[in-house]
Amino acid sequence: MDDLAIDVRQLTMAYGGTRVLDGVDLDVRRGEVFTLLGPNGAGKTTLVEILEGFRAGWTGEVSVLGEDPGRGGDAWRARLGVVLQSWRDHGRWRVRDLVRHVAAYYDRARDADGLLDALGLTEQAGTRAVLLSGGQRRRLDVALALAGRPEVLFLDEPTTGFDPEARREFHLLVERLAGEGLTVLLTTHDLAEAERLSGRVAVLVAGRIVTCGSPAQLARAVRAPARVRWDGGEVETDDPSRAAWELHRRYDGPVPGLEIRRPTLEESYLDLVGEAR
Amino acid sequence: MNATALGLRRGWTEHLNQLSDRREMVTALAGSVGVYALLVAWLGGDTVPGADVRMGTYLTAGFLAFTVFSTGLTGLPLMIATDREEGVLLRARTLPRGTRVYLTGRATGVLLTIATNGVLILLVSLPLTGGSLPASPGRWLTLAWVLTLGTLAVVPLGAALGILLPGPKTGAALLALPTMVLLTASGVVVPLSAMPSVVRGIAQVFPLYWQALGLRAAFLPDSMLAAEIGHSWRLGQAAIVLGAWAAGGMVLAPWLLRRVRGR
Repeated sequence: MDDLAIDVRQLTMAYGGTRVLDGVDLDVRRGEVFTLLGPNGAGKTTLVEILEGFRAGWTGEVSVLGEDPGRGGDAWRARLGVVLQSWRDHGRWRVRDLVRHVAAYYDRARDADGLLDALGLTEQAGTRAVLLSGGQRRRLDVALALAGRPEVLFLDEPTTGFDPEARREFHLLVERLAGEGLTVLLTTHDLAEAERLSGRVAVLVAGRIVTCGSPAQLARAVRAPARVRWDGGEVETDDPSRAAWELHRRYDGPVPGLEIRRPTLEESYLDLVGEAR
Repeated sequence: MNATALGLRRGWTEHLNQLSDRREMVTALAGSVGVYALLVAWLGGDTVPGADVRMGTYLTAGFLAFTVFSTGLTGLPLMIATDREEGVLLRARTLPRGTRVYLTGRATGVLLTIATNGVLILLVSLPLTGGSLPASPGRWLTLAWVLTLGTLAVVPLGAALGILLPGPKTGAALLALPTMVLLTASGVVVPLSAMPSVVRGIAQVFPLYWQALGLRAAFLPDSMLAAEIGHSWRLGQAAIVLGAWAAGGMVLAPWLLRRVRGR
């Protein structure tokens, strides 16, 4: 049990009759970067907010760092770092003031200036938070979440609205944090992001975990069949090479208009999401 | 650092952040000290009808009461509603002892605003009314405890209102009317004796009337008692009513906050 940072069994949450989460099982090991992947409205944020201890009314067994999030006290909370979706609070505060203030809540806090440096915000230290760009604001949120040296970091759709460069920088940051042994649970609806960052990925669709594993396992699990098309017909198959070989034998030569299409991982994922819905 | 110290520091930083926003500061000051200065300059020299007290002195007591009341029951709730909309409350919940620090910070901010406005009102009153300050150490003491207890009576209540308000914009509209009604009904501007008895009865349930009465006791001579209900400052009763509001609010606000939390 001790090597699990997060352990979820049969988590169900209903909201006015509809099940937002439906029997979710999940385990995140310590030091792992774990991604919850799913379309909008799949229940990712609800799930994360339950883990963070912000929601009541669920059933099942949930343990985060060995505690029930519904009952976690201040000592438990001090071990978590939370980055919620699209935060724009404390706009009037200057960046350094805010990081220093938040660091003062913790016993073994990080040094504020070191934190700003690590997140590339040194130049913005005297800027009011409301004036930061989207990417800078997100990095400030991460700095605040890291101020207390958390053991688990929650990132809820951290790169929504980022331009490609900001996104890439953010990915490098998460990789660096993971390298330091931090457990990271992040949500995204971007398959490429999940593939790039995660040790493991769970796909959440309509409140259920559809599949869970490493990005490679995920690719295998979600891979839709290839499509083999020629002038005389079309088949879907998991072994397109064999299908083509058989066609060649049947035609005893070149197959007219032969075309083999393997779905991209993204297409396969969308397929899976569509099916589960 | 402990939660109270953190909250005090938080309130101080918020206060400085607010002061450095020039437009906001000007608006805030114009709405309280500015209106006071205008009224006093205009009416301050007249004497209250049938008494040897200048209108300016009467207005000083009334505006101090109004500052406490509006900062605690309009400014604070709207700030909390804004904070909720911007995610400050949610941020507080992600931090250990965050909600306690947040509330302490907001309460500190209210105290600082009241203190700033109060001092400014007294400073403006000096040249304009030719000294309408409390006349004896006993009356200064009355001023101190009425301001303190009056603030304690409205801060928890204001926090509870802020938690209940749907949002800052609708909140402002929702609070405007009851504030105006209560302000008029509580004898802050017009003496309560000029009001119909039903209004007088209702006004005496709310903290504003007692706050204003206590402040008049600090600023006005006893010759003004003729205009008060029962021809007495009724300071004991004022202490009980203000204390009851303070205690009630301190029970109600955390209870409300817990209820909103489960959402």
